[in-house]
Amino acid sequence: MTMTLREIVRTTLLFVFYLALQILLVRNLVLFDYAFCFVYIACILMLPLDTSLTVLLVTAFVTGLIVDTFYNTLGMHAAATVLMAYFRPVIARTQIDQSGQEFRTEVMLQDLETGQFFRYVFILALIHHTALFFIEASTITLLMPTLIRIGASVLFTTISIMLLTFFTKR
Amino acid sequence: MGELFDFIVRSRNFILFVLLEVICFYFIINTSNYWSATYFNTSNRYAAQMLAWSNAVGEYTQLRQVNADLATENQRLNQELTRLKQAQPAAPAQYKADSLFANRFKYTVAKVVNNTTQFANNYITIDKGTDDGIQPGMGVISPTGIVGKVKICNRHFSVITSILHSEFLVSSKLIKANEIGTARWDGVDPNLVKLRDISRIKPVSKGDSVVTSEFNSTFPPGILVGRVRSVGVEPNQTFHDITLNLSTNFGNLAFVYVVQNLLRPEQEQLEKQLEAEK
Repeated sequence: MTMTLREIVRTTLLFVFYLALQILLVRNLVLFDYAFCFVYIACILMLPLDTSLTVLLVTAFVTGLIVDTFYNTLGMHAAATVLMAYFRPVIARTQIDQSGQEFRTEVMLQDLETGQFFRYVFILALIHHTALFFIEASTITLLMPTLIRIGASVLFTTISIMLLTFFTKR
Repeated sequence: MGELFDFIVRSRNFILFVLLEVICFYFIINTSNYWSATYFNTSNRYAAQMLAWSNAVGEYTQLRQVNADLATENQRLNQELTRLKQAQPAAPAQYKADSLFANRFKYTVAKVVNNTTQFANNYITIDKGTDDGIQPGMGVISPTGIVGKVKICNRHFSVITSILHSEFLVSSKLIKANEIGTARWDGVDPNLVKLRDISRIKPVSKGDSVVTSEFNSTFPPGILVGRVRSVGVEPNQTFHDITLNLSTNFGNLAFVYVVQNLLRPEQEQLEKQLEAEK
């Protein structure tokens, strides 16, 4: 696994950018009382496709802990993000058609067909948000509001990440 | 043994995954554990600093609202203060102000939309009119001192005769000297006004505060007009030539309070009757 210096700098910058965006800007952003934006999951989504699962899991854990620190919810974001990271290779394999592409590339819109990228982000966001909101609710009595919250937030997060990817193109 | 080792190597990621999740759920369940209480929350020095920066950025975008809120709060406090002061005027113990008298001043916050200081007769436009209960003749003050008097109103705006107007007179009192005179702008410097009718016999010290006197129905007593800047004596006159530094900075006037004296019509009607009899 060898990354060029350029790729390392770029990945690091993007990582910091998404994390800062989450913590400083969209932390308290809620649309219609239901749609939350957890754009920080892009920190894990945009790592190069050949990143080893070990690296993914550790990165996810650290990212989750940082976000938890700012939400005062120690463990919740970390748990959801680690779960999402564990499923990332499977989703990437099934949703992204890698034939004819250079194997080691970042998941970027210009490399992928929009539909593929959308499915990839959407499914992983769904896993993350479902885990997060159920851990947060930690009881099934509030099932309907939790489901609405998950649906709305998955859409909000996915659209945000899709739009941001347009602006962070190489 | 070799098989076990092989198994661990093959499923190391799954083991790591389970381990991390266990740690996470340990944190979640033990919400009051040492780690979360000490490091991983927003009281963390670095996290708090980050949030402070983030809020500082947000604050700039909200300054407008914050200013308006503060002005409203000041209005409320002014009203309360005047009421308390007027309930206990400097008077013999036998005199008791009734609550109607003490409550006679009502404040309304307004934003300055136009303001001049460069002419001989200056006017200020504010964004409140008759719909907000503003009527011609009401006094206008700023957070730092006196401003002027409402001249004309329409439904949503009012024009105020600024104290920077050649014919605007304010009955004012020197606090230390306890003398009453009339403040009037001489049309030159928008930061200075003249105080007239103070007898030469009375000593006047520099820096003495000048406030509105009890002898006027427009302003509540005790609103700051300015401070004595220089005291001159005109040889052939019986009065001091006093210059005041205005307490209100007309250059950056943003919010003003319109003061309504609820008892003023009554007072004026009574005084008019007397004049009619003459």
